[in-house]
Amino acid sequence: MFNGSAGGGAEDLPQLQSTMRAIELACSYIQINTNPAAAEATILSLHQSPQPYKACRFILENSQVASARFQAAAAIKEAAIREWSFLSTEDKGGLISFCLGYVIQHANSSDAYVFSKVSSVAAQLMKRGWLEFTPAEKEVFFYQINQAILGSRGLDVQFIGIHFLESLVSEFSPSTSSAMSLPREFHENCRKSLEQNYLKTFYSWAQDAALSVTNKIVESNSDVPEVKVCNAALRLMHQILNWEFRYSKGGTKGSINVFSDGMRSDTASSRKTECVIVQPGASWCDVLLSSSHVGWLINLYSSLRQKFAFEGYWLDCPVAVSARKLIVQLCSLAGEVFPSNNAQMREQHLLLLLSGVLPWIDPPDVISKEIEEGRSGSEMIDGCRALLSIATVTTAVDFDRLLRSIRPFGTLTLLSLLMGEVVKVLLANSNDKETWSYEARDILLDTWTTLLASMDGSGGNAWLPPEGMHAAASLFSLIAESELKLASASATTDEDDADCLASVSAMDERLGSYALIARAAVDATVPFLTKLFSDRVARLHQGRGTVDPTETLEEVYSLLLIIGHVLADEGEGETALVPDALQTHFVDVVEAGNHPVVLLSSSIVKFAEQCLDANMRSSIFSPRLMEAVIWFLARWSFTYLMLVEDCNLGSNQLQSLPSRACLFTFFNEHNQGKFVLDIIVRISLTSLMSYPGEKDLQELTCHQLLHALVRRRNICFHLLSLDSWRNLANAFANDKSLFLLNGVSQRSLAQTLVLSAYGMRSSDASNQYVKDLMAHMTSSLVDLANNSDLKNLAQQPDIIMLVSCVLERLRGAASATEPRTQRAIYEMGLSVMNPVLRLLEVYKHESAVIYLLLKFVVDWVDGQISYLEAHETAGVVNFCMSLLQIYSSHNIGKISLSLSSTLLNEAKTEKYKDLRALLQLLSHLCSKDMVDFSSDSIETQSTNISQVVFFGLHIITPLITLELLKYPKLCFDYFSLISHMLEVYPETLAQLNSDAFNHVLTTVDFGLHQQDVDIVTMCLRALKALASYHYKETKAGNTGLGSHASGQTDPNGVFHEGILSRFLLTLLQFLLFEDYSTDLVSTAADALFPLILCEPNLYQGLGNELIEKQGNPNFKTRLANALQVLTTSNQLSSSLDRLNYQRFRKNLNNFLIEVRGFLKTK
Amino acid sequence: MSDEEHHFESSDAGASKTYPQQAGNIRKGGHIVIKGRPCKVVEVSTSKTGKHGHAKCHFVAIDIFTSKKLEDIVPSSHNCDVPHVNRVDYQLIDISEDGFVSLLTDNGSTKDDLKLPTDEVLLTQLKSGFEEGKDIVVSVMSAMGEEQMCALKEVSPK
Repeated sequence: MFNGSAGGGAEDLPQLQSTMRAIELACSYIQINTNPAAAEATILSLHQSPQPYKACRFILENSQVASARFQAAAAIKEAAIREWSFLSTEDKGGLISFCLGYVIQHANSSDAYVFSKVSSVAAQLMKRGWLEFTPAEKEVFFYQINQAILGSRGLDVQFIGIHFLESLVSEFSPSTSSAMSLPREFHENCRKSLEQNYLKTFYSWAQDAALSVTNKIVESNSDVPEVKVCNAALRLMHQILNWEFRYSKGGTKGSINVFSDGMRSDTASSRKTECVIVQPGASWCDVLLSSSHVGWLINLYSSLRQKFAFEGYWLDCPVAVSARKLIVQLCSLAGEVFPSNNAQMREQHLLLLLSGVLPWIDPPDVISKEIEEGRSGSEMIDGCRALLSIATVTTAVDFDRLLRSIRPFGTLTLLSLLMGEVVKVLLANSNDKETWSYEARDILLDTWTTLLASMDGSGGNAWLPPEGMHAAASLFSLIAESELKLASASATTDEDDADCLASVSAMDERLGSYALIARAAVDATVPFLTKLFSDRVARLHQGRGTVDPTETLEEVYSLLLIIGHVLADEGEGETALVPDALQTHFVDVVEAGNHPVVLLSSSIVKFAEQCLDANMRSSIFSPRLMEAVIWFLARWSFTYLMLVEDCNLGSNQLQSLPSRACLFTFFNEHNQGKFVLDIIVRISLTSLMSYPGEKDLQELTCHQLLHALVRRRNICFHLLSLDSWRNLANAFANDKSLFLLNGVSQRSLAQTLVLSAYGMRSSDASNQYVKDLMAHMTSSLVDLANNSDLKNLAQQPDIIMLVSCVLERLRGAASATEPRTQRAIYEMGLSVMNPVLRLLEVYKHESAVIYLLLKFVVDWVDGQISYLEAHETAGVVNFCMSLLQIYSSHNIGKISLSLSSTLLNEAKTEKYKDLRALLQLLSHLCSKDMVDFSSDSIETQSTNISQVVFFGLHIITPLITLELLKYPKLCFDYFSLISHMLEVYPETLAQLNSDAFNHVLTTVDFGLHQQDVDIVTMCLRALKALASYHYKETKAGNTGLGSHASGQTDPNGVFHEGILSRFLLTLLQFLLFEDYSTDLVSTAADALFPLILCEPNLYQGLGNELIEKQGNPNFKTRLANALQVLTTSNQLSSSLDRLNYQRFRKNLNNFLIEVRGFLKTK
Repeated sequence: MSDEEHHFESSDAGASKTYPQQAGNIRKGGHIVIKGRPCKVVEVSTSKTGKHGHAKCHFVAIDIFTSKKLEDIVPSSHNCDVPHVNRVDYQLIDISEDGFVSLLTDNGSTKDDLKLPTDEVLLTQLKSGFEEGKDIVVSVMSAMGEEQMCALKEVSPK
């Protein structure tokens, strides 16, 4: 609509005014929400009209409506970014200086959001042209900015100047920049240039600006306008220091080493509080350190502190907050900015900051009292943050030493006192979660973690100084006691379960940090925990039957969790070592029976053993307590039980310690190990049999405890010799009560028992063990399937439950396939093949059973396929195909008549899950071609896997509707299978009949238009595979895709064009006119290149058509040139090799930057 | 377990039967009787009675005939009633004017006491498919003495 008025050369005043009025009207309509769609369309047409700059300038300068000015600025940005490649250099510079001039001129008016917008537009345009402007051109702009910031033109202009730099820096910083549909390389170059040439200058400008107003602020007793400038300058400094410095080391990217760079990358992930280490590099030393910058900042803040009583200032006023933020940030300064020969400088720097921060947090009790009486807690929290920042860049010993020069005690003692105070306050108002103490506790805990985690992994040689150890011990006892108080207080509250689950992982993290503190002073804390535990246990026994034990139970519960964390780390799939601190301390212990860790562990095992007694169980061992017991035993046994000496060794010099030897041998196989193992197995069986319906407990027992045991091979040997383990296996096979476990536990238990077969001395014995274990399950399925009345019998609820149980168990066993037991599990699956197909038939309406059946087959095939010999493979493949066919025949065209939308949705989800399982089955079959352990030689006539999988796809694709592909996981699975198949076996695809072929390609087309980048990438890869296959084949004189590619005439005489031409069109359309992530361009280039080679004539035609469509003769020639360059430059030739693909990628990138701007203009 | 004596008779005699099953074992997608109605479970959650008490299950379920939503809380070690839901496929042989269908049973006789579905869309689909001469198989679900059509499917003649 604005084409006429804004596009050409002859704008006259009335036209500009009418445009302005239209926009103003549209803006006011949007505000009062009248016909917003039309109003938006008006504004959008301004954004999209070619060269709307004159109109926009006119609006900015003349309109009284602020939102119209805002829209005009936005339109400038959008149009200029789009049209950048064909704007003249003067126009580009003109737009930027217009925006800059505009904000400076109107600096003192209101409507801050318009100015933010205009200055961010200026910043974006500046970045867009950054690499093409000469230094002199940039100098012109920056001279203007510098003048503004110097303050000669008044405070408002000064503020605007600083504000512009803020927008500029954020535009150049990768995380906040706008994409402008340019490749990453561009952004990276801009960032490099700014970091190397400008950032430091900006920082010193901000410094100068802040300095120029400091005196005014310090001297006056009330709010002065200078504060605004000072605040902006502080914010800019903060923002600049937040920059992710990369090029500080000698300027080359190659020299960056992530590992030596960061002080500690290891602990960063576990922390909740963000703390970025500031490492600007050596060149920043003068600005940040030698110019007494820190001293100035500290003085500024302390004079602000004195003004908090005056009007206009308070603890949380913006300038105070910015100053504190900057102080905290400077605490984490590190790296080459400190000259390497000058360690003192660093210490001086930190000491200066610490002494500035000290009044915020010291003395802790006075401060916390003030806050409880109503003062804001933010200063104190910032103080904690400063401690965290310092901790991030120092070691524990250096950290402790800092304070000693000004106080009689070390920093660790201060930290301990401070945290003790916070814990006390937290305990006092424990029911309110949004308090300052909550936040302070987390930050301080992170500080401890940061300091101690590095010591924990250092081989145990680094100990805290004695005073620090004392501080840690007293803090830990305070923490433990307050946790116990909290626990007993919460015993009666009936917390909501969902809430409880969410806080479990948070609690785990917190306990992990507590454990680090405890380990810093194990000499005191381990005996302390032993005493706490025996106290509570004694209390339980005394009050048995007379007193309500709930509070004590809750205390024991949380004690078990705490002790578990202190004694052992979470393995996370690896062997957990005995924590270093526990190995190296207690040096004077020579007898195992006196080792504090042994004492503590034994007392807990002894306590746990009591749950075997039915009376004790009913009076003390509640399901919840049992959960803690099982959790503890799992964690503890993984670290301490039956250690194989040489694999759990920490570092060698520790070996000789007698105390360590005591600890390691006490629970090994020659000592108490077997005895404890037996107790643990009996406890597990009890928790599975005697707590019916306690799902969580049972899952914990199966998943954590038993599973952890069989993961250790040496323990398997002992397990199999235990009567208690035999009882467990027997109960599993025969006892009815274990059939009552829930499905997941059934599966896990079966898996565990099968895995334990490893403990048999020979492979034959292992296979026999598995066979005996599972025989009962397989025969019950076979019997059922052979029952003549199966159809009626099968629908009875108890039979459904039996079948579900057995299937879960078979699935568990199947997923435990290992080379040693593979035969037994193969035979297990083989014997139930026919029953499985029978059941698939009779349970076609019982979707829950169907899903279990499918999942069993999926897991079984996954475990077996790579081991199978040719004839076995054929059998399994046939079985899978019958399975697919039966499933498909039951489900194609089925319509549910249920009236309930919930049930209909459920049915859809069930179908989705089934199909996902079937796709997984096909993927597993695919893997036979990749991984094959069978003894057959390659020449043996074997099943053609690719044909089988395509056949399978053919069966199930009709079930996969476009509707179902909206489930992201199914979509992902489907397209990864398709792209894999097309990449590896394009020749098989060519043999598909045209219906199946078309269905596959329709879904690819659908996938191309998905939002998910991964899906689009997979589809593009599939296309590349398809087109390059065809090109190579036809070049070699073969048919390639044959009629699929050349197009064909159907019986009605209508010509259908070939699929390659169809996709060429689609892909070009996509690349030129649609919105997509720039990450896709390279993959798209790889697909486009072979497509062009396959269909050169069509491509030529499409190109000409595009050129014809352009009205503007200038654009016509540009487009023609660009198309020419796309296929010819960079010595592109017509062979599909790596080099050519690379060249074409580069060409396409340039092509898109060149033409997308005007092609997208309407 | 299957070698135990099954003292269950054939399906029509057992149609009204329910079976006891431990609450902790009834999962999402399974069936349950709530307030005397056969339901399909769409949501199960567990909680504890007090911190150190026993687990209980909270069921949300949909009546398979009326589509009404029902809820129940049961200690997870207790038994619940599970309905015996039977589904049988029949071939559709006729649609009568008065809204009833005529179905062919396995043993060759006809079953004429079932009503057409009420949903308009399905109804037209069923009728048009039938008029075009397609083979249509109807699944009929029965439990606790009630029965209803629950699904239909076109079978392409082989």
